[in-house]
Amino acid sequence: MHPAPSIILFTVLSGFGFGLISITGLLQFFNQISIFDLITFSILGIIFSTVGLVSSFFHLANKKNAIKSMSQWQTSWLSREAISSIFCLLLVSANIAWVFLQNMYINEVGIVLFFLALFTIFTTSMIYAQLKTVPSWNNIFTPAIFIFAALSGGAILLTSYASLVTLLVFGTLQILFWYTADRGFKDKETSVGTALGFDANEEIRPFDAAHTNQNYLLNEMVYKVGRKHSIKLRYISFFTAFVFPMSLILVFPGEFSISILAILFHFVGVYFSRWLFFAEAKHSVSFYYE
Amino acid sequence: MTKLPKCDEKKLGLLIDLDTCVGCHGCVVSCKEWNSSGSDKQLSDINSHRRDPVGTFLNRVHSYERENCNTNETEPFYFPRSCLHCEDAPCVTVCPTGASYKREEDGIVLVNEDDCMGCGLCAWACPYGARELDLVSGVMKKCTLCVDRIYNEELPPEDRVPVCVKSCPTGARAFGDFNDPNSDVSKKVKERGGVDLMPEMQTKPVNKYLLPRIKSKNSAVSSGSGVEEETNAKGLLGWVDRALSKL
Repeated sequence: MHPAPSIILFTVLSGFGFGLISITGLLQFFNQISIFDLITFSILGIIFSTVGLVSSFFHLANKKNAIKSMSQWQTSWLSREAISSIFCLLLVSANIAWVFLQNMYINEVGIVLFFLALFTIFTTSMIYAQLKTVPSWNNIFTPAIFIFAALSGGAILLTSYASLVTLLVFGTLQILFWYTADRGFKDKETSVGTALGFDANEEIRPFDAAHTNQNYLLNEMVYKVGRKHSIKLRYISFFTAFVFPMSLILVFPGEFSISILAILFHFVGVYFSRWLFFAEAKHSVSFYYE
Repeated sequence: MTKLPKCDEKKLGLLIDLDTCVGCHGCVVSCKEWNSSGSDKQLSDINSHRRDPVGTFLNRVHSYERENCNTNETEPFYFPRSCLHCEDAPCVTVCPTGASYKREEDGIVLVNEDDCMGCGLCAWACPYGARELDLVSGVMKKCTLCVDRIYNEELPPEDRVPVCVKSCPTGARAFGDFNDPNSDVSKKVKERGGVDLMPEMQTKPVNKYLLPRIKSKNSAVSSGSGVEEETNAKGLLGWVDRALSKL
C-alpha cells in the first residue's frame, strides 16, 4: 500500500495526542497528577491529535464533504473514528476549562477520558484492521500496536518506570505484528488463480499490461518501492522506538529533559514502524498485476 | 445508508465469457465514451495526448496465458475486470459519508458523487480493484452497470443494456438478472458452471465468469492446407475454378 505521508502523520500524531489524553485521564482518576501538569498535557494532547486530524483532512480528494464523514457510524469505522475523536476533544476541553476555573479536578472524568481516548485510537486502527483485502493488517496485532504505541508516548512523558512496561509490551506486540504480517497471503487461499476464478494453484502469467501506464490502483495499492530495505528499516524502527527510550529511562529515571529525548527517539521509531506498516502491506488487487 | 439491503427481487449483473473474449478492449473504450459524454460527470484523463497519460476507467482488460495440460501449449486468454456488484459489498459498509450504496431494487452498487469526500477507503476495501479515484474531480468512480441506459426510455429497447455488453463484438458479455433462474444469464451459469472471483473474500459477487475451456488435442485446427481440397466450390467461383482447371 502507498505510504502517504499525510496518513502516516495522521495515525502517528493523533495516536500520540490521544495517548497523552488517555494517560492524563488515568492519572487524574488515581489522583496522581498536579493541576498544572493536567492542563499542560491535556493541551499538548489536543494539539497533537488536532494536527493529526488536520493532516488526515489533507489526504481527502474532495475536502468539502469531510463533515459528512460523521454520518455512517453504524457500519463505518472511519465514521466512528471521526465522531469519537470529536467527542474526546470536546470532553478534554471541557475538563481543562473546569480544572482551570475550579482549581480542582473530578477524578471520574479522568477514567471516562481514558476509555474514550483509547476507543478513539482503537477506531483508527480498525480502519486498517477491518480490511480483508490486506491480510497483514487484518489481524488482532494491528489494534494492539496502535494502542500501545499511543500509550507508550503518553507514558514516557507522564510517568517514569510505568513507561518501561508500556514500551516493553509495545515492543513485544510490534515483533508479533511483523511476524504475522509477514505471513501475508501465505495462509490465505487468494492467488492469481482465485483472482481470475480458477483453482488457487492454477499457473497463470500475464503477458501484456492492461494499460500502458501507471494508474490509481498501481499507485495506491500495488506500491512496492522501499520493500527491499524493509529489514534494515525494521531494525532502525525497533532501536529508536524501544531500545533507546528504554535505556534512557533506565539510566536517568524521572528526569523530564531525558523524557523529552526519549520521546523524540520513540517518535522517529513509531514513524518508521508506521511507514513500514503501509509500504510492506500487500493488497489482493496486486494479484491481477503479477 | 451504508447498511447493505437485502436484494430479494433482482440481482442485475454481467456474465463474462473468457472463452469468447478476444481482448479487443472495445468494452473499455465504449465504457469510457458512454460514461464521459452527455453529463458533467466525466472520467478524467491527465496528459491524454502527451507522455505518461493516466486516466480513470471503470473497466480494464488484462491479458494472461496458461499451459494447456492436453496440448502442452501456452494458451492466451483475456480478462475484463470491473465492479462485480457484490451482495456483501465491503466497499459500501466502510464508506464514512454514505456516498457508497447498494440499491435495494436491483442490487446495483453506486457512488453518490455529491456525498463522496475522496478518502479512498472503499477502493482499499474492494478486493478486485473495481474502484478508481478520479484525480480531477476528487471523487470515487465505479461501474454503474449503465443505470442510465438500462432504464432509459429514451433509448430503443434493444439498447437498454450496459454499453460494454452492447459494444462487445464477440458477444462475450451478457447482462441480466441472476436472481431469476429462467434468465439467459442464470441458464448459462448453470450450463457452463459460472464462477465467482476470489470467493474466499466472502463478497458474494453477482457478476459471474465463464472460464476458458481447455481445448482437447483433436479440437486444434489442422495445420494441413485446406485450399487445395476446395475443389467442389459452387457458383461463380466454382465456374472460374473449373474453367481455369481446363486451361
